Amino acid sequence: MNGFLLTVGLILCFLVFLVLYRVVFGPGVFNRIAAISAVGTKTLIILLIMGYLYNRVEMFVDISMVYALLNFIGCIAAAKYLEMGKE
Amino acid sequence: MIFRKDDIIVNTISRILIPFIQLYALYVIMHGHYSPGGGFQGGVILGASMVLLLLTRGYDEARYKFPEQIATLLSSVGVLIYAGIGLLCLFVLGNFLDYGKLAALLHVAPAHARSLGILGVEIGVGFAVMSVMYSIFLDISTGGILPEDEEE
Amino acid sequence: MTTTVMYALAILFILGGVFFFATATIGLLRFPDFFSRLHATGKGDTLAVFLSLIGLALYEGISLTGLKIVFIAVFMFLAQPTATHAISRAGIKSGLQFWRKKGDAQ
Repeated sequence: MNGFLLTVGLILCFLVFLVLYRVVFGPGVFNRIAAISAVGTKTLIILLIMGYLYNRVEMFVDISMVYALLNFIGCIAAAKYLEMGKE
Repeated sequence: MIFRKDDIIVNTISRILIPFIQLYALYVIMHGHYSPGGGFQGGVILGASMVLLLLTRGYDEARYKFPEQIATLLSSVGVLIYAGIGLLCLFVLGNFLDYGKLAALLHVAPAHARSLGILGVEIGVGFAVMSVMYSIFLDISTGGILPEDEEE
Repeated sequence: MTTTVMYALAILFILGGVFFFATATIGLLRFPDFFSRLHATGKGDTLAVFLSLIGLALYEGISLTGLKIVFIAVFMFLAQPTATHAISRAGIKSGLQFWRKKGDAQ
């Protein structure tokens, strides 16, 4: 089971690198915010898989819950700021 | 940016989620000695929940629930708790922040007194971090200019 | 349920989650417009995270940690579509143009 989780974690890391293309080259700021939210979602699963690989799941569950909260709040704050347009 | 309150979906979801976020922050503060957490991390999550309240409810309602003066007062209360516990240890003939000497006051074993002393200090740190985060966000987003000043 | 059945279900759910993650990423890279990219990442990522977390909770079994993982899954299921809605509303109010196929009338 450890080998299977390691493979899944490596596939998710590769997907994160693919999304970083949209962060760097996205025309405009809205594409970048959507891509950063996607990177945060994948990081959540990678953290939990690392917890299973190190055999200390209880610590990594708390960390991943906090990261989900902060991802949500940051996305809403950025969207509220960008609503104004050119003012 | 924070003077407008015009979205109904984000309002409803934040009304459901904010109490649970604060409950989780209290859990993180209390379990600092055993799992990742402690005073600073719990204070940051509490401050983030206050910022979410400010973003989705508008400036007037958030100011009604948590005014600026209370935020400034709470940050000083947090520092008072921290330094107060340290000075209390000085009065019982120990060093500064030497919680083991508090065992005589609380009628428990010295190891238990150390655990309770650290818990009290973390609560003080949590108060201070939450109020400072809320106060800084309020100052940056209004630019120091309140709506009641502009009406003159 | 026996442990072997729960392990098999966990592997199935995690593989489903990885499939939806891959599809959402390909959509994010290849779609021609901001709003269609939001469709891909908002819906695909939410379902993928939900399936992956349910799979990991089945692998852990019935304990305090498994219950916490289920709480994270419920929170993500509530919060991620709200964030997508907030961003798309900001995009419309800011005046982004929709994408039209070449050769359409208007």
